[in-house]
Order: sequence, then structure tokens, then C-alpha cells
Amino acid sequence: MPIKEVGDSIIVVEQINKSFANGVKAVVDFTTQIQRGEVVVVIGPSGSGKSTFLRCLNGLEEIDSGSIVIDGISLDESKKNRLEIRKEVGMVFQQFNLFPHMTVLENVNLAQRRVRKKSKEEANAMSMDLLKKVGITEKADNYPNQLSGGQQQRVAIARALAMMPKVMLFDEATSAQDPEMIGEVLDVMKDLAREGMTMICVTHEMGFAREVSDRVIFMENGKIVEVGTAEHFFTAPVEERTKLFLNQIL
Amino acid sequence: MESVLHTKNKNLWQKIHRSPLFDISQYILLVGAILWFFSNSTAELGYNWQWYQIPKYIFTHDETGYSAGPLWKGLMVTFRISWISLLLAFIIGLATALFRLSDSFAARILARVYLEAIRNTPLLIQLFFIYFVLGPVLGISRMASAILALSLFEGAYTSEIFRAGIVSIRRGQWEASYSLGLSTFDTYYCIVLPQAIRRILPPLTSQAISLIKDSALVSTIAIYDLTMQAQAVIAETFLTFELWFTVAGMYLAVTVTLSFFVHWMEHRFKVVT
Repeated sequence: MPIKEVGDSIIVVEQINKSFANGVKAVVDFTTQIQRGEVVVVIGPSGSGKSTFLRCLNGLEEIDSGSIVIDGISLDESKKNRLEIRKEVGMVFQQFNLFPHMTVLENVNLAQRRVRKKSKEEANAMSMDLLKKVGITEKADNYPNQLSGGQQQRVAIARALAMMPKVMLFDEATSAQDPEMIGEVLDVMKDLAREGMTMICVTHEMGFAREVSDRVIFMENGKIVEVGTAEHFFTAPVEERTKLFLNQIL
Repeated sequence: MESVLHTKNKNLWQKIHRSPLFDISQYILLVGAILWFFSNSTAELGYNWQWYQIPKYIFTHDETGYSAGPLWKGLMVTFRISWISLLLAFIIGLATALFRLSDSFAARILARVYLEAIRNTPLLIQLFFIYFVLGPVLGISRMASAILALSLFEGAYTSEIFRAGIVSIRRGQWEASYSLGLSTFDTYYCIVLPQAIRRILPPLTSQAISLIKDSALVSTIAIYDLTMQAQAVIAETFLTFELWFTVAGMYLAVTVTLSFFVHWMEHRFKVVT
């Protein structure tokens, strides 16, 4: 792996806790820092709190205690802060969540026009560039239900990138895909990583982790169990639970 | 030999009773039977049917052209009350639904109180209350009272329809919208409401039809809508059965036209899930 330029801390997560109404403790005393340009992969068994942690980072879940600071903006009760942070943090979902009543182009345009206040021409230009980047320009005027799963996810990535975010969150972006489709989505994600995007990916794709990640976090029951590079996890994991988990998925 | 014939007959029978002609004939027979039953029973009443008297109450035609009869004038009043009330009911309904879903406790309570108060009292009582009590207090006209009562009443039911539509939109749509940085207003305006409206067109149509029929109640506060005009003509002419059948037919014509229009709209804006 070529040496990558990694910058200062863009995300500072300090002792966050999140419990759900039914008493389940999803995230417990979680502390970490993400550097600019770093690619972090979060792995763990289901129910370990990986997705919840991710969703706390853009305010989709409210933390019970602790602090999150993203690019100097503190994620607290202030609606204004939350909106600012959401403009800088893009998210790609497992279920794509494209807007079904709009064409692909309109999906990618929407946030640019409503949030960044761009004109139709500016938005179109940027959208077509992004669609070219993810390799799907010919489907610009189609509706999401006319696309395959892999194509939809690539549109979702383009849509998130249209806001020019500083951080991209991927919540099991390939888990709902057919095996043939996973490759095309992972390729887009790998390109993004090589271009220096700060990415946090919840995934089971260890091959992806090995190829582009700088750090892997293993979570269980809401806590960080082990942190290290992908190589470390594959060759010499320390904790018993880590070994158990990796035995199951590798 | 026998079984071949049996199969042939069976196939013929299947062909016959699956054909559209069979369905149409069945329908005509059924309607014919009902009409025959009706005319036989009403013959027992000894009523003198005078259908030929009706047209002049709808419109009259002389040298100066067509002029509206009392029934037509009543229909126009019904139209006017209906479309204004419909518009207001939708606005009130949407606002109430949004209030019920808002983060503000005050908004939620206000909406809930309005909803429960209106849904649990009869329209007639509400109409009388607004006309006799609120009307003089607010200084509003008879027509305005009627429109206010109708809008408030139908608005409550409409709000639940809107709320059902909004709540049926998958959470992922909200989350995708919020994570793109869209405000709550933009989320409703661009993502949620366009999808919700397409889903709730059928119950909204029912509500609109309900409103048009409920508008007949304004006759109780002496507004000369279709129902009131019919009552006035009956008082003069005693053409009870003919007039009520005609008026029912006129209401039917209006609501069926509305249904067709909405059906056409549903086709144009097909629901994409």
C-alpha cells in the first residue's frame, strides 16, 4: 500500500454512550479519533453497535452522553450544528434509500439545489460528473426501480458525494447486494479511498478492508475490543473474541 | 367416446362463462330484475308518477336561451360550498397532520384536541353550534358558517388520512434526506409529501365525496343548496319521489365525475414504491 497523506483529526469521539428505549446499550464508552483522509473499517458481530455508532456521527441517533466533534463543530442539541454537520458528512445506506419518485439525475441534484442552493445547470453539471465517476451516466433519466441493486447503490454514492462531504459513512453498503454486484460498488469505494476521502465503513468485506483501510476497529456489545491495521487482524489478532469472530468470517 | 363429448361440453361451458358477453348479460338481467321488483312494489303505492314535470325545474328553454331552474341553481350553490370547503379541509387536514407529527408538545396537543372534539360530535350539531352560537359572535354570514363547519369537520378526518400517508413512508427515506442535510421542510416538501399523496388518493377521494354529500346538511340552516331547493319545490308540487330520485341522481353525477377525475389522476401519477 502506498504511503497515504493523513491529516489532523477531523472526528473526535469522546466516551459516547447510546442506549435504546428497551434498555439495550448499543454503544458504551466509545472513544476514537478519525484523521482526515483515513479509511476506517468497523467490524463486529450483528448487534455489536457498529451501525448505531455510525448513525451517531451524523445525528441520526442522539447520544446519551459524551461528545462528538466533527471538523470543529460539536454535535449537540443545536439544530443548526446538526444541519451543518450533515452537510459535511455523507452517508450510504444498506438499503440504498434512493427517492423512488425522482429520476437518478434528480436524486443526485436535489441536495445540491435545496441545500447548496445551486442553479439547475450547475447541479446538472456536477451530477453528470459524479455519475460518470461511478460509471452510470446512461441511466441518468431512469427511475430507481429500473436499476439493478449495484447500480442503485452507485447512484446513492454519487448522491452523497454531490454534497462534497468531508467524511463519507458507509453502513454495510454491500450487504444487500448479489455477489456479482458487490464488486462494482466496492470498486467505487476503493477509488474514493485512494483519492483521499475520509471514510468510515461498517462492512463484512475483509478483502476491501485489507486493500484500502488504514485502521480496523472490532466492536462487540457496543465496546471497542481491538484496533489495528487490517494486516494485524489477519495475521496476529490479540483478543480471544476477535479470534473467534474472525474464524467465523474468514 | 363419452369422455370426449364430456370434455368438449366442459370446454364450451368454460368459454361461455368466461366471456365478457356472459358478464354483461348477467348484469343486465340482475338490474332488470331489481327494476322490475321496484316498479311492481311502487305500483302498490298507488302513486301517480309525473316524471315529465321534472325537467322544467332543472332548466327552462325559451326565446332568450337556457335559464336555470331552481334545482340547477341549488346545484351551483352546492358546488360552491363544496369546493371551497374541500380546499379548506385539505389545508386544515395537512396542517393538523403536520402538527400531530411535530416535535412541539403544544402543536401535538392542539391538533389532538381539535381532532377528538370534531370526530366525536355530529356534523349537524357542529353546524348548528357554529351558525347559532359562533356566527353572531364572529359576525360571519350564513354561507361562511356553513363552509366553516364543513371544513372543520372534514378537515379532522382528512388529517388522519394525511397522517397515515406520511407515516407509511419508509424511515429510510427520512434518513437519506436528513443525512443529505435537507431541512425538515425540504424533506416534507420534496420527499415525503409527494410520495404520501400518491398513496392516499383513494381515501382522499372518499373524503371528498363524503364532503359533497354532507353538504346537503346546510339545508337545515336555510341555505338554498340542492337539497333545500328540492324541499322547496316539493312543498309546492308534492312531486316527492320524482324529485328525490332526481336530486339523488344529481349528487351521484357530481361524485362519480369526481371519482373518474381522481382515477385519471391516479393513473397519471402512478404510485412508485
